[in-house]
Amino acid sequence: MFKHLFKLIWNKKKQNFLLMSEMLFSFLVLFAVFTLLVYYYDNYKKPMGFEYQNVWVISYNNAYQTKSTDSLNTYYEILRQNIKAMPEVRELSFCSFNTPFTNNMSQGRISYHKKPLDHVNFYTADESFPATMNMQILEGRWFNKTDVATKNKPIVINSDIKEQLFGKGAAVGQLISNYDEKEKMRVIGVVQSIKMKGDYAATGYGLYQKTDTGSLRWMGKIMVQVVPGASAAFEGHLYKTLANYMKNSNVEIEHLTNKRTSINYFTLVPMIVLSIVGGFLAINVALGLFGVLWYNINQRRGEIGLRRAVGASGGAVSSQLIYESMILATLSLIVGSFFAVQFPLLNVFDLSAGIYISAMLLAITFIYALVFLCSLYPGRQAAAIYPAVALHEE
Amino acid sequence: MLKNYFKIAIAVLRRRKFFTFISLFGISFTLTILLVLTAFLDKVVGDSYPDRKRDRSLYVTHLQESGKDGQSSSTLSYYFLNHFVGSLKTPVKLGISSGYEGTNTYVNNKKLAVNYKYTNADYWEIMEYDFTEGKAFSKQQIDNADKVAVISEDMKRDYFGDIPSVVGKYIEADNVKYRVIGVVKNVPITSYNLYSDIYLPYTVSKTDFTKGKGYLGDFTGVMLAKSTDDVPRMRDEYDAMMRRIPMESKQFNKMYSHAQSYIRSYVETGNESSSGVTIVFTAIVIFVLLVTVLPTLNLVNINITRIMERSSEIGVRKAFGASSGTLVYQFLVENIILTFLGGLIGVVLSFIAIQVLNSFRLIPNLVLSINFTVLGIGLLVCFFFGLLSGVYPAWRMSKLNVVTALKAQ
Repeated sequence: MFKHLFKLIWNKKKQNFLLMSEMLFSFLVLFAVFTLLVYYYDNYKKPMGFEYQNVWVISYNNAYQTKSTDSLNTYYEILRQNIKAMPEVRELSFCSFNTPFTNNMSQGRISYHKKPLDHVNFYTADESFPATMNMQILEGRWFNKTDVATKNKPIVINSDIKEQLFGKGAAVGQLISNYDEKEKMRVIGVVQSIKMKGDYAATGYGLYQKTDTGSLRWMGKIMVQVVPGASAAFEGHLYKTLANYMKNSNVEIEHLTNKRTSINYFTLVPMIVLSIVGGFLAINVALGLFGVLWYNINQRRGEIGLRRAVGASGGAVSSQLIYESMILATLSLIVGSFFAVQFPLLNVFDLSAGIYISAMLLAITFIYALVFLCSLYPGRQAAAIYPAVALHEE
Repeated sequence: MLKNYFKIAIAVLRRRKFFTFISLFGISFTLTILLVLTAFLDKVVGDSYPDRKRDRSLYVTHLQESGKDGQSSSTLSYYFLNHFVGSLKTPVKLGISSGYEGTNTYVNNKKLAVNYKYTNADYWEIMEYDFTEGKAFSKQQIDNADKVAVISEDMKRDYFGDIPSVVGKYIEADNVKYRVIGVVKNVPITSYNLYSDIYLPYTVSKTDFTKGKGYLGDFTGVMLAKSTDDVPRMRDEYDAMMRRIPMESKQFNKMYSHAQSYIRSYVETGNESSSGVTIVFTAIVIFVLLVTVLPTLNLVNINITRIMERSSEIGVRKAFGASSGTLVYQFLVENIILTFLGGLIGVVLSFIAIQVLNSFRLIPNLVLSINFTVLGIGLLVCFFFGLLSGVYPAWRMSKLNVVTALKAQ
């Protein structure tokens, strides 16, 4: 039976070729849209890794210039005490400028047993960072007072690096080299990866270093966890305290909740635009397919009438038409999948193969559903053709 | 003759309403998407408020230094712009401004997020901001390090509320009080090199920008030539300067920086090996192709179907001696009429879409509008569509054999 259907399709190859290329293009467009949607959804359902509610970020610059490390330490220690003493403040942490939900990045390469790992985010933070952010420590511990400069600098890695470099094995105690393989760093703990770039972005590799007197010179962010419901009046008071203490500095206080909203917005808007465009293209294709199939049936009234006359049931006639369009869809999907499968094979955009495959499956299902629905009505119409009426026309 | 074709076209359109609907739907929606996209691009890179002298300006926004151990790329320092770029002969003016930075201010227990930006005096002479009141700060005020500020209309409304005049009043930002001397019309944040809420003299900054001899910093520059003819000379002089000046440190052996037109500087990636223009251009072309190819294929499909339906008409006309050329011409005219009809609906739809987008206020102060350029582009796209989706079906139809065409019915 399929052989026969192929023959029918082949006889109208010119017209079917156009239909097929239309299906092929819509498959490719849908594949692209679904890849993006699956990628975002995949990231969205992973945990955030920390609590952003009630956390504020203070930015400052150019705060205190001195040659003496002792007075530098004292300067920031006093600042810490001053902020900590406020009843609304629960915890605070000095850290590097690549805080959550900003576009600031500091990336580099590390290697483990000569195996390099690129796009690793380097964060610098002090001892109270996990407490401020409510981060989860999965293995080992975070930095404490005992971590003074030793031969191998102590570091904490996130679960993404751990999975990539050590798999199921233990990470604590292992030595990782930095980019030029000169310096070795000792892993003392593993923390849960956190989504630094908002709900829809991947967590990425993260490596934490402890602040030292050198880093205090260039760091410019303080994370502050406040009690729920801290008021604008308190924020004004905090701001004044900071601005008066750091006379030469520009100070800004931002709320992580607001920063999360705005960074999400930058992912959501393109996603919505693409979905609308994709949806419109799908409607367009559906209408086109429907129109062409409908017309074809009107053209083939004679043939259908003859089939009915020699005893084919209405169901058989309509299923023949549906089968025909499904075969057309299958042919174009085979070609389309050939192109689509290159993405995971060549690893084009650094996404995992699972995302591409689920996007492909979704696109295939979508096209089949579309074609099926579009041929359902024309098929039923064909089934309703009376042999006497159809044959009488000839 | 054309009038006849027109009549036939309308008659055909009314005969198969469903097909007409599909065609019009495809054309109008595609056009809407393209029109909204062009309106957006036109506003973001084509809007010349406040730098109306774009045609005789060149923008310096990035410096990339590279060496064996890596590279760094950033906006430039005040020293670099003032000392090196300032020594060029061709530019008559050099506007220097920092990128916008955020800070807070608290009025009546309410928090306001404020973006501020430092500029020099020439900046105000190159840029033509529309002042609703007051004026810009002068060179004298900058040299005296007067704590004066030019603010945007939004800032005025948010900080002072609805009052007619604020010149002479004080605004507090970053724990410092500035005297307001001018209010300017808002600039959307998409013009990121020109946008700010508060503009301040660079001399009042808490950081002394005139100290230090590093090349990288927070500033960008705009060079203004005497006339448009001088622009290429200015660019050459800048490139010659880049070859001449010494490396910042031994760490680096190459330096790249260019004086570019507004659009090039707008999409500058700061990396010599990847051109922002190419990336943006490719992205737009791919998007436009995707959006147009599918509806075109769809239209071709529908058109073939419609034309084949009329095979008897074609047979009769051929039998009475109409040449293939005449028939192709007729069908093309019909198709172009159809696309223009779709185009008309498309323009109405995009008008509605733009109104809706504006009412969402996705980006503050970015008000999209359909202008004549956009409309012209739209009509051109329509015509192109009509030809593209009409040529193949018409050609196939004209190949039809008279006998088969007549026998079909």
